[in-house]
Amino acid sequence: MKILIAEDDPVSCRILTANLKKWGHDVVVTHNGNDAWRALHAQGAPPLAILDRVMPDVDGIEICRQLRREKTDTPVHVILLTSLNRREDLLEGLEAGADDYLTKPLDTHELRARLQSAARILELQESLRQRVRELEAAIAERKLAEEALRNLSLTDQLTGLYNYRGFLNLAEHHAKTSRRTQTRSLLIYADMDGLKEINDTLGHRAGSTAISAVAEILRRTFRDCDIIARLGGDEFAVLVPNVKHAASATLLERLKRNLRSYNEEAGHEFTVALSIGAVEIDHEEAWHIEDQMARADEVMYREKRKKKGK
Amino acid sequence: MSLTHTELAAVDLAVLTSYEEAQIEGEPDFVVELIDLYLDEVPRLFDALQTAIQDNDSTSAKRAAHSLRGSSANLGVLQIAAIADELEHLDSPCGTSAVQLLQSLENEFRRVKEILSAERQKRSR
Repeated sequence: MKILIAEDDPVSCRILTANLKKWGHDVVVTHNGNDAWRALHAQGAPPLAILDRVMPDVDGIEICRQLRREKTDTPVHVILLTSLNRREDLLEGLEAGADDYLTKPLDTHELRARLQSAARILELQESLRQRVRELEAAIAERKLAEEALRNLSLTDQLTGLYNYRGFLNLAEHHAKTSRRTQTRSLLIYADMDGLKEINDTLGHRAGSTAISAVAEILRRTFRDCDIIARLGGDEFAVLVPNVKHAASATLLERLKRNLRSYNEEAGHEFTVALSIGAVEIDHEEAWHIEDQMARADEVMYREKRKKKGK
Repeated sequence: MSLTHTELAAVDLAVLTSYEEAQIEGEPDFVVELIDLYLDEVPRLFDALQTAIQDNDSTSAKRAAHSLRGSSANLGVLQIAAIADELEHLDSPCGTSAVQLLQSLENEFRRVKEILSAERQKRSR
């Protein structure tokens, strides 16, 4: 074990050092409090310190006090050297935070026993720290796994609609298979208006209810085979595959009608509104859902700007 | 004043030789090393005591006495340890009693030096 000694008396210091070395310890020798303090804060500092109670500059008790004021995961185990028959020194030392004490003149058998007890305590502390590290690692791993699981899920927990990932997967699959058909698809990008105000004035529970209401309206408007998703926050998207010519306008009209009738029903503490961007996708050419979403998003954004400009 | 300590041996050689236990094979005699350290340290502490008493500096006097007691007790130099202890705990560690005790210490040290030097000789042979 690496052990620091702080002892100003050369004879005591030599006796202590010789014994510790004889027992196979690695000894860092200092002769005053300031050097001891520095050595205890150096890289690879010893975990155990034997400090003389009385030293000319900073004494052992003061070092103890200052060590205990520090917040650390690896507290130094301090053995204080006090003179026999100075009980008040001993009590003061323990109060200052010393872990143990030895009286001078040194009894080497006692020193050895105290070191063994110190080694046991340090070992226990280390295994405790190790356990904490393991638990922290396990928790971090678990969080990652949960995150991964969330990412794997295809549905949105609040509404039961597809989530962003689910939407992308299904829409991309549709994009790949649709080229063979001679039809077109309708992509609707819808952004709720005023969700923030609902959250701010009525609380987040009302906000969640509003989101669920929009989900319900979308479900009522479209068919089971349409891909309806909540992309996140207040954003929704619907992909209607194989729309017949001129059917798009009808669908959008139906959506607006359903929104209106929801708002006309009695008993809602808020009204819901959507800014909608709709684009038709021609199946003649290869297409990617991301590009089409960007198109729809742009149309939606223009509508939102127009509303705000009103 | 040192009369109170007459029943103590000047040097308890059993204490001194107990340090043979810490001897590492192949290294110079450890007990000899300790004797040398001690014989070197004591005159230094006497000087410090002398200066402190002359300067009427109680703190330094007590500290020097304390160190002297510690080193001496460690090596089984019992008389000096006892006198130093008495000096350290004087109400006025720079007064006339202190001067007398310092004198006793110096006298005692002459005796101790002879004993330790003899021991050193014996071991160096």
